[in-house]
Amino acid sequence: MAQRLRANPEAPPLVQLNFAGREVTIKLVYYGPALSGKTTNLRSLHQLTSDESRGRLMTLETRDDRTLFFDMLPLVFRAEGPVQKSGERSYTPSEASGGMSVRVKVFTVPGQVLHSATRRLVLQGADGVAFIADSQLSETENNAASFLDLRSNLKEMGMSLREMPLVIQFNKRDLPNVRPDAEVEQLAKRGREPVFKASALKGEGVLESFFGLLHLTWTRLEAEHQLSRSLGLEADEFLPVAARKLGIKRDVQSLLASCLGNGLNPPPREVK
Amino acid sequence: MQDARPPMPSLDLEGARVRLEELVDRVALGELCQSFYALFGIAVRIYSSDGALLADTSSEHDVCAYVNSIAAGRAACGATVSSVKLTEPDETGMSVHPCFTGNAYRIVAIEYEGRRIGRVILGPFLPVEVQEVPSSFLDLDPSIDPERAKSLLVRVPRAKPETISRIAKHLRSALDLILFSGHKTLLTSQMHLASVRESYRELEERGKKLQEAFDKLKELDRLKSNFLATVSHELRTPLTSIIGYSEMLSEGIAGPMSAEQTEFVNTIHEKGNQLLGLIQSLLDLSKLESGTMSVRRETLRVEDVLGEVMKTLIPAARKKNVQLKLDSNGTLPEIRGDAERLRQVFTNLGDNALKFTRDGGTVTLRARATGRSGDDDEDGFALLAPARSMIEVAVMDTGIGIPVAEREKVFDAFYQVDSSSTREFGGTGLGLSIVKRLVEAHDGTIRIDDNQPRGAVFVVTLPTARE
Ligand SMILES: Nc1nc2c(ncn2[C@@H]2O[C@H](COP(=O)(O)OP(=O)(O)OP(=O)(O)O)[C@@H](O)[C@H]2O)c(=O)[nH]1
Ligand SMILES: Nc1ncnc2c1ncn2[C@@H]1O[C@H](COP(=O)(O)OP(=O)(O)OP(=O)(O)O)[C@@H](O)[C@H]1O
Ligand SMILES: [Mg+2]
Ligand SMILES: [Mg+2]
Repeated sequence: MAQRLRANPEAPPLVQLNFAGREVTIKLVYYGPALSGKTTNLRSLHQLTSDESRGRLMTLETRDDRTLFFDMLPLVFRAEGPVQKSGERSYTPSEASGGMSVRVKVFTVPGQVLHSATRRLVLQGADGVAFIADSQLSETENNAASFLDLRSNLKEMGMSLREMPLVIQFNKRDLPNVRPDAEVEQLAKRGREPVFKASALKGEGVLESFFGLLHLTWTRLEAEHQLSRSLGLEADEFLPVAARKLGIKRDVQSLLASCLGNGLNPPPREVK
Repeated sequence: MQDARPPMPSLDLEGARVRLEELVDRVALGELCQSFYALFGIAVRIYSSDGALLADTSSEHDVCAYVNSIAAGRAACGATVSSVKLTEPDETGMSVHPCFTGNAYRIVAIEYEGRRIGRVILGPFLPVEVQEVPSSFLDLDPSIDPERAKSLLVRVPRAKPETISRIAKHLRSALDLILFSGHKTLLTSQMHLASVRESYRELEERGKKLQEAFDKLKELDRLKSNFLATVSHELRTPLTSIIGYSEMLSEGIAGPMSAEQTEFVNTIHEKGNQLLGLIQSLLDLSKLESGTMSVRRETLRVEDVLGEVMKTLIPAARKKNVQLKLDSNGTLPEIRGDAERLRQVFTNLGDNALKFTRDGGTVTLRARATGRSGDDDEDGFALLAPARSMIEVAVMDTGIGIPVAEREKVFDAFYQVDSSSTREFGGTGLGLSIVKRLVEAHDGTIRIDDNQPRGAVFVVTLPTARE
């Protein structure tokens, strides 16, 4: 059955590959402080993707709209190259035909401080993390505390932040009293992570952040497992294929272009 | 290296090992299939991807019964059924499998999150285009009666391919809902369990760390107390010699001295005694802290102890022109304790009271029997408090008083409210820390109240002796 590959035996398992079943499962986790808009991001992502490729948005246990366990959005599509320019066929995933089915499962953690144990459980085995920060100035400390929490939870699992594909989203840009654009840009320029601005409630910046994260995660997995070969794709075709299969009308390059800072083009990583 | 920790509970939130059997309730699934059967007359069977039959609306068609009554038919039927069971639907998710009788089966893949986890078999049904009994049926055995075969065959429900497709689609979307909520329930219960385990693991780890830190502190504390005891002892021996010899000198044993010499020697003697008192206090404190101070338990009367204390305090009171009063009305119940240590307690409190009270003030030692003690919000207070009888000794002065914010801290070793006051009042700040420990060693409590209109009241509460 599915097997979790490891870059080195000490490192925790990463992407799930199942060559017999011809499928890849990529786990992305939306992390961040309470009420920063993680669930809202997932809801918007659900709305912005096409019916065929996305499953139901699963919301596990909430109280007063606060996440208690997690939310999960499965995005499933078939990747096979080369990209067809026209006359697109809709495939039903099947073990018989060529290509591989790609399952991107997007999770949110509960942001409230007390659900620390649950956050760790959901974070387990993540291939990439989107950190959803609340742009309001008053949330500055909470954002920082949650980030430290992410760091210590990763450490607990034997992972370091450096090893984890990570994007930062400054959400709730529509509100007053948020950190000004210029300051966010300045911060993004100085930091090493890619930064996206978003108003998840309006669906703005949601796809940008998602594809930014997918890009980083894919790059990382590609370097370690040469996944595109098994999919019959060129390495740089994955993202456009994914976008098309998910029913995204917008051009991936333009989505990624809205990234602040240089984090999306990391220098080649050494793989031990 | 990593220390050995219990691992985190492992979960399959990604659904890598999701199995149809785990997502559906078999009874509910059976009911769903039955309702489809009742609606369309076409049998429904559901298999998991590893071939387990999960639901079956089995009821044999007449033609099937007829086939099964003939040996060759039975064999052919068995072959067909197992071949149907093994048929993997094509990439559209649906396949048709014919039966030699002219009937057909539709095999439909059950998918969840893009993965096949089982299949539905619809049928047998009679495709609309089949008008005659096919030779594959008739040629099976010479005993087959074509008329009978036909009359039975047409009783099988006829269906157009579109109809079957529609039924399959309906069934699929109903199943999809069931699978989704099944998966949700599965994950919820797994998360419940895992969260509890993970929280427990976290607490356990923290508890262990705290315990280690606590043990370490305790050990340090013990070392410190030992050190203190040794040092105090080593200091006392030479000091006793200093005091002894200076005393002999001032008594003129070694010959007569000038007035100035006598004054100097007396100062040496006095300071030596002060130093000895300090060392004694340090020693007491370290003994109390290390738990090696022995507190005797004998039956005694507090009034007797207070009488002794009065005697000790009178000279100092006279010198300061402070009035000293003892107030104890009636006979008090006896208590169990160490008279010497209690004397130390009240002498210390009396010393303080005199020290911080100015000329013309009053210091009162008052003893009373009282019924109440403990916190008002203690569990079962209404039952426990009346069962307790206590003695309350108050040492009251009309001195400078103690601000509320300082009332806990003054019991810490070396703490003095105004450290610049050491110049005026002297002392080292050890007295109250010893007092508190001694009171607690007697199962008592000590608190500080205001005196009216000015001054401080130290209230010591001690349990009375019980039969
Ligand atoms: N104005 C504004 N409000 C937002 C935005 N995104 C989310 N919110 C609001 O913020 C609140 C919290 O959003 P959620 O998505 O539930 O937050 P969460 O991060 O999932 O919170 P937890 O589940 O407690 O960790 C909701 O009232 C959202 O409507 C945004 O972009 N702009
Ligand atoms: N009756 C009192 N009135 C006002 N302040 C008091 C009184 N008793 C104690 N204190 C305050 O509490 C402090 C601690 O008292 P404690 O008896 O522990 O030390 P000390 O009297 O200063 O020195 P030592 O008793 O070691 O000679 C004192 O320095 C003083 O500030
Ligand atoms: Mg949430
Ligand atoms: Mg004192």
